[in-house]
Amino acid sequence: MAEEHFVVVGNGPAGHQAAVTLKEKAPDAYVSVISRSRGSCYRPHLLPDFMAGKIPETALYVCPTDAYKDKGVKLRTGQKVVGLNLRERSVALDHKEIVRFTGLIIAAGGKPRIPEPLWIFRDLMLTLKTLEDAKAWREKLSRVDSVLIMGGDLTSFAVTRSLLDLNKKVFFMLDREAFWPLRCDRVMLEEAAHRLSQRGVEVIVDRRVKSMARVSDLACEVQLNGDRVRAGLIGAFFGLVPDIRFLVGSGLRIDRGILVDEYLNAGYEGVFATGDCAQIYHPEIRDYWVSIGHDNAVSLGRTAALNLLGGSVMVEAAQESIFEVQGIRVNTSWWMDY
Amino acid sequence: MMAQVDLTVEICGMSGDGTIAAGGILNEAMSRAGLFVLAFDSYPAEIRGFGRCVTHSRVGDREMRALSDRTHVLISLDDKESQSRIPFLAREAVVFFDSKPPSYVEEGASIAAHVEPDARLFGMPFSELAAAASGSTRGRNLTALGGFAAVFGIPSRTFHEVIEKKFKAKGEKVLDANLKSFDAGHRFALERLKVEQIPPIPPLVKGGREDLPLVKGGREDLPLEKAGMGEPVYPPLEKGGREDFLEEAEEKILISGNEAVVRGALDAGLALYFGYPITPATPIMESLAKALPDRGGRVVQMEDEIASIGAVLGSFFAGKRAMTATSGPGFALMTELITHGVMSETPAVIINAQRGGPATGLPSKTEQSDLHAAVFGGPGDSARIVIAPTDVRECYDFTLMSFQLAERYQTPVIVLTDFFLNNRVEKVEIPGASEARRANWNLYPEESAKGRYERYSITESGISPRAIPGAEGFLFSATGLEHTEKGRPDYSSDIHSKMTEKRHRKIRGALKDLPEPVEWSSGGTMDVGVIAWGSTFGSALEAVLSGQKEGMQVGALKITSLFPYHAEAIRAFMKRCKEILIPELNYEGQLANLIGHLHAKDVVRLNRTTGMPMSPTLIYERIKSLI
Amino acid sequence: MKTSGKVLAAQVERIRDSKRFEIRSENLPTWCPGCGYFGIHQGLNNAIQRLGLPHHQIVIVSGIGCAGRYPFFSHTYGLHTVHGRALPVSTGVKLANPELTVFAVGGDGDGLGIGGGHLPHISRRNVDVNYLLFDNSIYGLTKGQPSPSSPVGFKTKASPQGSVDAPLNATLLALSYGASFVARLFAGDPDGITDALVQGIRHKGFSFFHLYTSCVTFDKAFKTWEHLKEWVHPLPENHDSSNLKQAIHEAMDDPFSLGIVYKRME
Repeated sequence: MAEEHFVVVGNGPAGHQAAVTLKEKAPDAYVSVISRSRGSCYRPHLLPDFMAGKIPETALYVCPTDAYKDKGVKLRTGQKVVGLNLRERSVALDHKEIVRFTGLIIAAGGKPRIPEPLWIFRDLMLTLKTLEDAKAWREKLSRVDSVLIMGGDLTSFAVTRSLLDLNKKVFFMLDREAFWPLRCDRVMLEEAAHRLSQRGVEVIVDRRVKSMARVSDLACEVQLNGDRVRAGLIGAFFGLVPDIRFLVGSGLRIDRGILVDEYLNAGYEGVFATGDCAQIYHPEIRDYWVSIGHDNAVSLGRTAALNLLGGSVMVEAAQESIFEVQGIRVNTSWWMDY
Repeated sequence: MMAQVDLTVEICGMSGDGTIAAGGILNEAMSRAGLFVLAFDSYPAEIRGFGRCVTHSRVGDREMRALSDRTHVLISLDDKESQSRIPFLAREAVVFFDSKPPSYVEEGASIAAHVEPDARLFGMPFSELAAAASGSTRGRNLTALGGFAAVFGIPSRTFHEVIEKKFKAKGEKVLDANLKSFDAGHRFALERLKVEQIPPIPPLVKGGREDLPLVKGGREDLPLEKAGMGEPVYPPLEKGGREDFLEEAEEKILISGNEAVVRGALDAGLALYFGYPITPATPIMESLAKALPDRGGRVVQMEDEIASIGAVLGSFFAGKRAMTATSGPGFALMTELITHGVMSETPAVIINAQRGGPATGLPSKTEQSDLHAAVFGGPGDSARIVIAPTDVRECYDFTLMSFQLAERYQTPVIVLTDFFLNNRVEKVEIPGASEARRANWNLYPEESAKGRYERYSITESGISPRAIPGAEGFLFSATGLEHTEKGRPDYSSDIHSKMTEKRHRKIRGALKDLPEPVEWSSGGTMDVGVIAWGSTFGSALEAVLSGQKEGMQVGALKITSLFPYHAEAIRAFMKRCKEILIPELNYEGQLANLIGHLHAKDVVRLNRTTGMPMSPTLIYERIKSLI
Repeated sequence: MKTSGKVLAAQVERIRDSKRFEIRSENLPTWCPGCGYFGIHQGLNNAIQRLGLPHHQIVIVSGIGCAGRYPFFSHTYGLHTVHGRALPVSTGVKLANPELTVFAVGGDGDGLGIGGGHLPHISRRNVDVNYLLFDNSIYGLTKGQPSPSSPVGFKTKASPQGSVDAPLNATLLALSYGASFVARLFAGDPDGITDALVQGIRHKGFSFFHLYTSCVTFDKAFKTWEHLKEWVHPLPENHDSSNLKQAIHEAMDDPFSLGIVYKRME
């Protein structure tokens, strides 16, 4: 029998854990992880701390790159998956190499979301998704004194905390888009605003952006309806959307993310999706929900791996921490820690 | 402050990919950009030339003495062949490869499947870019160079100059196609650098990357494997080193060891070259065949190596400087006549470009296993002069010097090089030779000796004045039989003892004219002293300098006069070292055999017969283990 | 007798005046009495004298063998090299200083055995060297072994059952190697040697002299003086020495016809 080849797309917490689990449970299989970015798997939720200089870069990594070899996992970095062929059971890389798989786990993660009205200003805003982003933030923060946080997703609160630790002046523009993908109600909004103000953050609510412009090398200006804010940096924290454009036309069912069942299977034998890029069906609420957050990702990665190998582990979701947002349920148990 | 530059670049492809040509252009461009270069290519061994080609260039902002163990940049023109280079890549090596093969390839066909995770892949559609720019994919090797130039910050103008020089003779169309191919790669890479998250690499030379400003706060230099590649420490001008040779230096040039030998011979006024083709010495004959006629000399390709040395001896006998160059197997054939030169006290200059042995051995691999043969080969007590250069500049100096030594000491002089030295390219200064260095060192008989001339008269120095045929009144016959002072064959015990002693005394007297050992140390006592010869010395020196940088009490001694050797100086150095380490590319340790007895205890031998130059890291590790 | 003393003195005087023996060095030849080499020596010395070649412009290069000793017996420059290598060494000498008159001398073992690989090439190169091959079909210096020109059946200590290898024909070889001047001579005829040498030395190119001679000490059966005197005769009257094909035929058909077998027309 030919050697099994399990391919994991993405080397974030979900993908990494999936690969490690696969190799652990199927030691004779060939396991590869294909990642668009360089370097080993790192913990995205620690990026705000790294940004603030609280931890060194080495502390971000789950393990050194050598560890993959030691664990028997083939890590391919700096290589993008650009296509999936379900019939041939192969993925295509952007340098026209075809990788055939016996089993596939897609853990492509998400990418920063910029709301449509603000697209034209996206060059003026910094997002915080990757290590490179964090480094860019660090570099810029060494030269500016104030930051405008726009949006208010789950990362933005950790970032705000870091900025305050760095003694930066923080403007925080909260609006209905805040807490995306969570639709927040008035109560939550005010609660958040209050907590932020207590820490010295200048909170802006109920405002709309009219325009944004760079006024100097170290300052941007945002025109709001009835207000104007000037800050050294503008950060966009409108949440993540699954980064799966490469799968369009592959045959997988896609909504915002890849639609999978409660076992994380994407509807084809041996093809799974996990982590931020997946929309998971919950049989009890009979709908799809998105899981966000590091610990969840790790757990989901493991689950996908076990199930690919023949297990039937259902994804857990604590009932009470599910919110409903535009038809999507959100597990936000970790957010409560803030 | 400019970051320290020490970068090793390899280009790997299949024959037909233009790998070697690209390597040559790269070396030339780096050299023009002001960097030092040490390059060494490997070719397919077979005649049809079908197989893997690898160019290997180490460039830096200061003199390079050895190849490094790790390659920092790999330009892959053929992914299948390039896979063989992966074990030698530095951890974060940058790998340029063709990201748009004509059709989809199976897993593993791309080099991207094989590199280690920390390598930085830089994919460029070489073929597509070249085809779009010039109408053919032939220039894809230059497209790759364009990408390299952009990423590493070498001005494209510099490359243009080199490309123009190289392809001008092939016509406007070819030149244009090549320039366009290069530019296409350069442009693509610059664009990519703007958008891709490639870690910023400071340009290798100031102002090297046109469109992008020097990246501030980027990584200072390419992280190098901790392989002992520390910052070299350069001692003050050594005694007996280059001091004597400091003349008006010409512009630095990029030449190979073979070419340096040729220049040395030409500057010495070589009149006649007699040779036989043999790898790796053949290029010497071919270069001289082009150059000698213009200087009134000539190259005669003889029927074998025996004929070659025979003719060289005949030529010197008749008063003209001649030379032959060969390798191990050819040298072996020459030994009888070499001892004839010793016995008849006739000068000769022989270059032995060592290769893997024994017998036919490994024609295109490097080794240092002919030392015994060079010093002792041939019947009897036939001491002759053997010198061994350690770098390309010394290939020039020693070849030049060998003619004077041969004339003064009336003996064959053997210059021992090795495949690596012969074929590697370095950026060196070759000053023209002064009158003094070209001067005739023959000792002619006095007029007063006319009519009663004794060719082999025993003198204090052991050197007997030598008449040249054509001189009236000084007739004699040179002979390979033992002979009296008059030159008449004589086998009596008295004569043989006296003449043997005379010849050996004469050779020992050469010590004063031979390059002395040179030491690199703080001058005091050391835990480990490394003694090396030939091209291995460069590797040894790098290892020692790394050790010194880390505070180790270590030193290096360069030996270039293998016979006679400066026993006193060597012994004095050894006395100050706890351990003596002698690394060499032969099985037993031929230099160790020769001089090991000078040390109070056994020397430590580090021997390798891999056919490859010795790695500085290997020597460094051994040094460490001895402390 | 008183008269013989005066006659002798006069003869000595005449000889001294003729300067014929100035070419002879003070070293007495080590050849056996009766050796053919004496005749060759006389022939060459006379040729040098006749041409008036200055002795210090002459270099005699020799190999190993009885013939190898030759340079010591001549008042010229000499270079006694190793076995079989006189031809390449003399090439070096001549190319280094074309003003010199260069001779290469050696026996049949030296020239056809170990040195056999050099004859084709000095011939092809047409180096202006005069090569005297002393052919006595034996290795004399090492006390009598068959040589490349010994006949089948030749009995020596090294070939007690008789030699089995066919002999080489030196003249034929030189012709087929393209030598531009080939002469076949007999040590018993020094004057004939002198005549041929004078022409060959003058010839600007490689001149090959195949000299039949006898080893009186070790060859009592084959090339004895008696046999040689019987066998040798001049080349036919109508021999056209400018015709290579004819020369080759002559060399093949008649091993003992003497004279200038071939001389290439410019």
